[in-house]
Amino acid sequence: MMTVPNEPKIRLEHVGKMFDSFVALDDLSLDIRPGEFLAIVGPSGSGKTTVLNMLAGLDRQSSGTILLDGKPIAGPGPDRGVMFQDYALFPWQTVRGNVGFGLTHGPAGAGLDRAAREARVARVIDLVNLGGAEERYPHQLSGGMRQRVALGRLIANEPEVLLMDEPLAALDAQTRLVLQDEILRIWRQDQPAAERRTVVFITHGIDEAVYLADRVVVLGSRPGRLKAIVDVDLPRPRNEATRATAAFADLSRSIWELIRDEAIRATVE
Amino acid sequence: MRTLRQLALPLALIVLWEILVALSGSPRAPRPSTTALKAVEMLADGTLLAALATSLGRVFGGFVLATLLAVPLGLAMGTLPVVERNLDPLVESFRPIAAIAILPLVILWIGTGNLAAVTIVAYAAFFPILINTIAGVKRIDRSLIRAARTMGISPLTRLRTVVLPAALPSILVGMRIGLGIAWTAIIAAELAVGAKAGTSGGIGQMMFVFYAYSIQLSGIVVCMAAVGLVAMLLDRGLRALLARAFPWSHP
Repeated sequence: MMTVPNEPKIRLEHVGKMFDSFVALDDLSLDIRPGEFLAIVGPSGSGKTTVLNMLAGLDRQSSGTILLDGKPIAGPGPDRGVMFQDYALFPWQTVRGNVGFGLTHGPAGAGLDRAAREARVARVIDLVNLGGAEERYPHQLSGGMRQRVALGRLIANEPEVLLMDEPLAALDAQTRLVLQDEILRIWRQDQPAAERRTVVFITHGIDEAVYLADRVVVLGSRPGRLKAIVDVDLPRPRNEATRATAAFADLSRSIWELIRDEAIRATVE
Repeated sequence: MRTLRQLALPLALIVLWEILVALSGSPRAPRPSTTALKAVEMLADGTLLAALATSLGRVFGGFVLATLLAVPLGLAMGTLPVVERNLDPLVESFRPIAAIAILPLVILWIGTGNLAAVTIVAYAAFFPILINTIAGVKRIDRSLIRAARTMGISPLTRLRTVVLPAALPSILVGMRIGLGIAWTAIIAAELAVGAKAGTSGGIGQMMFVFYAYSIQLSGIVVCMAAVGLVAMLLDRGLRALLARAFPWSHP
């Protein structure tokens, strides 16, 4: 599908979500640009995952509208791919089977013959550095490798929008840094914006959000609501040197100040 | 060394058995030695293996039938609340009725042949497979279903590609339990049908013939040992088969 420049890829208008009488998210309005890497940070209970589930079509908003390319989101679709926090890999499928699952069984593989599907799976496995592990099952893989499989499964379907829910939260610090760079590489940060896919990336890590994103949406909690949208004007391509700059530290600190009080309150409650 | 230790207890029991018979002074009580001789005789003339083969054939027939009925029904009951609400009372009221308790009706309607035996076995194996299939479907990690939904995979395809394989470990447990119960049910059924004499065959009927038409108690003991051994081999065999076929479910 062609996207008109300057039109938002996704538009949220006064979106609210209630679970019974509990307000998970209150009146969120937000435009997500095509090709943008948007990170969402916020303390527990700020409705981050709720936003993502609604964008995925897994949950329905209680009020407001969510538009994708100008049309309301009615349910899940192959135009959006989700990477879950808990990997959600199919334990009975090998690495190859997991990566190719959507192509083999879903609409993403429509119009591709077997050879084309296999070629794409092989390319994706290469891209996420899982070569040699094709025939292994998830229980035989380390946490970092499982996360690569989940990433591979997401991008093999070539969705226009990548929705990622704390995808690196379960990993150790070193693996997380490595995978951050891979996500940027796969997102094609060295290409012009028109070549990129749209990413919505939920994270607890402020550093991670600043390192990856074009903009960081800061949510507050109880009820979940928009606190601020921070432009991250660090140059691309970003790399290890980016983390050492004063601008990086300033941005991280200012975002931390926005959520510090609530984050501290969340730890004592 | 380990096999030696595993054999120690059975050997001790056999020695104890011989001592107890000698102490009792009964001339008809089977001894390990007479039982062993009888076993050799029954193996040599082929009657034991023929009887086991007959029983096993019925068990496999009934087991396959039960699996073909119970797995689709269990998938439907586990995924569709409306199906479960309507069928659950029926299942729960039949489940406590032991297979042997429906024997009179089966004999009345179907007779004492292979079909009757297969029916008893299928009935016995049906419930454990059904219950475990339902439980397996309900215990599926919801995020797997969500992952498939976000890939736009249709409900019917999800049933085949996600629900069935995700519930499979539990279904296989049900099949193992079902096969064990099927084997006990066929022995009981053949024992009971054996009262009607000579045509039905099987290891259960062989036991009945030893009991009713001869005084060969050692023959009964041979049959008992064979039944136990076959049950163990069935379970081991099925486990090995499943571990080979589904390596991911036995990490």
